[in-house]
Amino acid sequence: MAEKNRRDEDDNDRLDDETIDDVVDDDADDEADEPVGRGGTATRERTKADSADSRPKTRTEGRVGIFGRLARFFREVVAELRKVIWPTRKELLTYTAVVVVFVAVVLTIVAGLDYAFARAVLWVFGGSS
Amino acid sequence: MLSAFLSAFRTPDLRKKLLFTVGIIAVYRLGATLPSPGVSYGNVQQCIRTMESGEGNGVFNLLNLFSGGALLSLSVFALGIMPYITASIILQLLTVVIPRLESLRKEGQAGQAKITQYTRYLTLGLGILQASAFVALARSGQLFNGMCQEFPIIPEGTGLPTWLTVTVLVITMTAGTGMVMWLGELITDRGVGNGMSVLIFTSIAARLPSEGWTIKNNKGWAMFGLVLVLVLVVITAVVFIEQAQRRIPVQYAKRMIGRRMYGGTSTYIPLKVNQAGVIPVIFGSSLLYLPSLLLQFFDQNNLNGWQTWVQNHLVQPDSPTYISVYFLLIIFFTYFYVSITFNPTEVADNMKKYGGFVPGIRPGKPTADYLDFILSRITLPGALYLGLISILPNFFFIWLDNQQFQNFPFGGTAVLIMVGVGLETVKQIESQLMQRNYEGFLR
Repeated sequence: MAEKNRRDEDDNDRLDDETIDDVVDDDADDEADEPVGRGGTATRERTKADSADSRPKTRTEGRVGIFGRLARFFREVVAELRKVIWPTRKELLTYTAVVVVFVAVVLTIVAGLDYAFARAVLWVFGGSS
Repeated sequence: MLSAFLSAFRTPDLRKKLLFTVGIIAVYRLGATLPSPGVSYGNVQQCIRTMESGEGNGVFNLLNLFSGGALLSLSVFALGIMPYITASIILQLLTVVIPRLESLRKEGQAGQAKITQYTRYLTLGLGILQASAFVALARSGQLFNGMCQEFPIIPEGTGLPTWLTVTVLVITMTAGTGMVMWLGELITDRGVGNGMSVLIFTSIAARLPSEGWTIKNNKGWAMFGLVLVLVLVVITAVVFIEQAQRRIPVQYAKRMIGRRMYGGTSTYIPLKVNQAGVIPVIFGSSLLYLPSLLLQFFDQNNLNGWQTWVQNHLVQPDSPTYISVYFLLIIFFTYFYVSITFNPTEVADNMKKYGGFVPGIRPGKPTADYLDFILSRITLPGALYLGLISILPNFFFIWLDNQQFQNFPFGGTAVLIMVGVGLETVKQIESQLMQRNYEGFLR
């Protein structure tokens, strides 16, 4: 939640920046700002990874090599994992309790049904050998 | 949320759905206990008793788990939901390969109905195949590993010709599979939860008490408690990952329609770490069952070269090959299933249509690329987690005791399925409750 709010604030800030830019009517500045403005979280991450490779940007991705690409992929996975919102302790406990209760209820129902049916079937078909 | 269980019963339509589901489960269990015509129930009971007193390691532990013990007694629903699962895997895999199926899938409702129809036909075909295999197995006595020769499950010399008995058996079991399929679809349509998963869940639940009892009897209360604790830990771990989300913020543009202002809200797309749910595990385990089914068609006592290899590497659940193939299959199916169920292009198009955008990303293709980027990254830990959870407890059981390993229900696969289905179903119940309680609020 907190992270989401913060991101919203960021967005607002950026909007403000742009309006101010418009008021000043400075085109050059606007263009310089644009790549930064466009960079959402992941894109920014990607450009960072690119620059970390310290290779000329004109080269295609295929030149990085399989290990380089794998390493970058894993870095990106970790970066995405950091943005994951994990359940809180309270949530975790509630859901675990709910699942346990649910499983217990179904277990009881099925066990009861099975017992009854097994008795009935044994009564009807059993005995022969 | 626990109170949801109680208030669910106070809501009339939800109560109806719950009772309907329970009713279907009752029918399913009845069919699973009812012996097929031509089977001597008394002899089957005798054999099961013999098996339990001896070393209980038939070939069918995994399948028996999915069919809830129905298989050993050759009951009407002996095949259970397995042929349906196999058929739907095959069709979903074929969708990628065959262009005609692909175009059907994209056609929308009508095409989807066509694919469902194909799945059903394939299910019946597979049902006939498996039913014949099992009947042959039962007649040769291998269903109980040849340990029960003195009590034939399908007695001969009853006045009816053998071919008639066998044909009726195969027909009954195939029809049973068709009926199970129908029951599953009824649950999906009018009950609570996904029918297929609920039925598998029921089968696993049906086996749990007796398996738990076996562990208690063989190992004593201490080991029983230890297993329970382990299961609880696994449950918590599964819940933890299932609840983890990557939230992608979405902003909706404000627009005026008439005198009203719409939109301008900010929400998020929840991408779960494990977007695929339990389906990959079900698919992986039922696909790995196929080799052992294949082997049933050959003579068990003199297998030739490749058959022995399959027997040693793909059927024995504690061989390293089996475990690694299982792991890789789960990872593959996780990616595969996510790609089927979540289509980034479609989501991006929908967002664009309703004036939504991810802040900082252009709507349309860039948004689709962005979603795809995140999804492919976030699915890797999800896939690894699914694979690890379904494998790790098995290691524990191997370490514990090789014989005890046969008691599969407490392994990761079963726990994963139980928790996954439980969470899914409870959430569905809860969302329907919310819908009802806040009806006046929303509209």
